[in-house]
Amino acid sequence: MSSFYVISDDTVEGDVAIIAMGGEVDLDASPALRERIFSHIKAGRRRIVLDLTDVTFIDSTAVGVLVGAVTRLRESGGGSVAVVCPEQREALSVVVPAGGANIVRQVFEVTGLDAGVALCGSREQALHELALAG
Amino acid sequence: MQGATLDMTAVQVDGDLLLPAHSSWLQTARRHVEQVAQRAGLDAQRSARFVYAVNEAVTNAIRHGKPDGEGRISLRTVLEESSLTVHVQDSGSFSMPSTPPGQDAESGRGFALMSSFADEIRLDLRPGATTVTLVACLP
Repeated sequence: MSSFYVISDDTVEGDVAIIAMGGEVDLDASPALRERIFSHIKAGRRRIVLDLTDVTFIDSTAVGVLVGAVTRLRESGGGSVAVVCPEQREALSVVVPAGGANIVRQVFEVTGLDAGVALCGSREQALHELALAG
Repeated sequence: MQGATLDMTAVQVDGDLLLPAHSSWLQTARRHVEQVAQRAGLDAQRSARFVYAVNEAVTNAIRHGKPDGEGRISLRTVLEESSLTVHVQDSGSFSMPSTPPGQDAESGRGFALMSSFADEIRLDLRPGATTVTLVACLP
């Protein structure tokens, strides 16, 4: 079984959806991710933050879900997706050094940036990016 | 995913790990490769990248490939002095799928990641057997 879990799923000021997840987001987990994101889009939300701070693995099917979300938002008149993925992660009081095994950030650096998804180091930065994008 | 049921198990036969061709077994595949990568002496960064590449290959086998008669695909690991090799094999006959628009982008993405994160990739395509081979060069 996949170790994927949802930490929180809230809508904040400005009708921004923030979904925080943890664990490993692979083919087994990406349908659940898709369902969550698309239910926000169906509810009319146009700005979505995916907080991957506690995610230790994310594959191309999950990136595909995000690309699908960006496309759906465009088709619905506009919107943006931002991903929170700090360069340094503190997990269980162990600091992961920059350049360490942060595979999630590397995946986005190889694929996500051309998918129309903003890659941010913190929630604050993500919310700022979404506000800028309009 | 036909033929793979919840009460199936992974089976180890010599150096081959035979996994039910279902997405719920991807984590097992990753853990297995992690252990071998550790034994091979790959550091955390390289190990994570190689595990990633193998995960993409196994994901493809599950999604687009065909399981064997018992509903499984195979992972064979070969650890040599200068390299760690993983062969991911399914029983499909690889053919360029006619995919809906957008799907090509996703496959392309998966392949780009696989090739970025492994030192070498080889494809062996035969009727009834598709093998993706990923290699990490050892320091």
